[in-house]
Amino acid sequence: MATDDNFPCSLTLQVPFPDARLASVALQALRVDKELSGLVKRELTTVAAPESSDAGETILRVDYKATTNRMLRVAVNSFMDSLALVLEVQEEMDVDVIESEKASQ
Amino acid sequence: MPDAKGRRIALGCEGSANKLGIGIIAHDPLTGEAIVLSNVRDTFVSPPGTGFLPKDTARHHRAYFVRVAKKALAASGVSIDEIDCICYTKGPGMGGPLTSVAVGARTLALLWGKELVGVNHCVGHIEMGRAITGASNPVVLYVSGGNTQVIAYAEQRYRIFGETLDIAVGNCLDRFARTLEISNDPAPGYNIEQLAKQGGRVLLDLPYAVKGMDCSFSGILGRADDLAAQMKAGEPGPDGEPFTPADLCFSLQETVFAMLVEITERAMAHVGSNQVLIVGGVGCNERLQEMMGAMAAERGGSVYATDERFCIDNGIMIAHAGLLAYETGFRTPLEESTCTQRFRTDEVFVKWRD
Repeated sequence: MATDDNFPCSLTLQVPFPDARLASVALQALRVDKELSGLVKRELTTVAAPESSDAGETILRVDYKATTNRMLRVAVNSFMDSLALVLEVQEEMDVDVIESEKASQ
Repeated sequence: MPDAKGRRIALGCEGSANKLGIGIIAHDPLTGEAIVLSNVRDTFVSPPGTGFLPKDTARHHRAYFVRVAKKALAASGVSIDEIDCICYTKGPGMGGPLTSVAVGARTLALLWGKELVGVNHCVGHIEMGRAITGASNPVVLYVSGGNTQVIAYAEQRYRIFGETLDIAVGNCLDRFARTLEISNDPAPGYNIEQLAKQGGRVLLDLPYAVKGMDCSFSGILGRADDLAAQMKAGEPGPDGEPFTPADLCFSLQETVFAMLVEITERAMAHVGSNQVLIVGGVGCNERLQEMMGAMAAERGGSVYATDERFCIDNGIMIAHAGLLAYETGFRTPLEESTCTQRFRTDEVFVKWRD
């Protein structure tokens, strides 16, 4: 994202996932909701890890820019909360996890 | 795909207020029966004297989503394969809490390869009430902390005949519970109901605000708060005797419930129905059921209500209403799986009824 005089405060997060499928699931789940404030802009995408580009796009990349550091902090913290939920659902409720738990019962 | 018994199965997620509910329902295509396979709920309770705030409520839903979802899945005994769709509350309700549940629902749908169905919370209550009680075509009184509507079905819409002009009746009760610092566990309205049973010696004067088909509760709340302040200051009531929180709770209930009975009766006369179905959390209140039952009996009809598993916000009603829509071909594409705080009951096209 190009720097923008109107949105001088920016932050980029790169979240590694075990595989491209999980990174894609996170991207699709999180990009649906628009940013609540017009003072914040967000771009979400997946990219390949530089060392292992043959594994596909395993990294979720978020670019935030905001008018003030406070707005940036609020938006990023909120994103992290949603990301944490996505990760927990992926860890605990993916198809293979549920199946292996059922099998061991 | 259908389960081993040929039934359609849906998982539903609800979190528009302080209850996080996830449930799994089965529809039998041969009998048309709706079977509750699991219905799990966790309620976020705030300390006495406070209400639940959006940010804290959203945090609660995120924290409990996996726990509640896994419990619902395990209790149902179904496998992921057998689930047809993931339903979630699109609205109306509180923004942050709604969205936190939607994020969880989307993630499940994507991981499991299932389609999403966004559901109107009010329609969820109505359809679950119809399914549980078997009421064929009642006038519906939907009363909760967030909503107060009188609804009748006509030509594939749930039409709003009357509603609150300001706050919901449940909101009036919940906020009065805060004034009296009554516990919010399990719910403020429940505790007001119990306290009201100890009242009855005196009916304190509260403004009765019915306006045609509609009603209003903020003025009553203001006056009730004034009376509570008088009571705390040691002032006597209208008959010169001191009065108690129980007297206040009793008087508030009698007044607001009489108002609800009046607007419901007005809708019944308009529509020519003598059946009433009460849904929503306030519908658990036995005094309201009693008063409504007396009115319905006078008209040669009856009142239908469900128990707290279904009248309090829950995930099974979302699964049920969502599956009904899904079976008519309704889908919510991922990009449209947002949430909205305002979602009128009559915005939903009820394709699954004649």
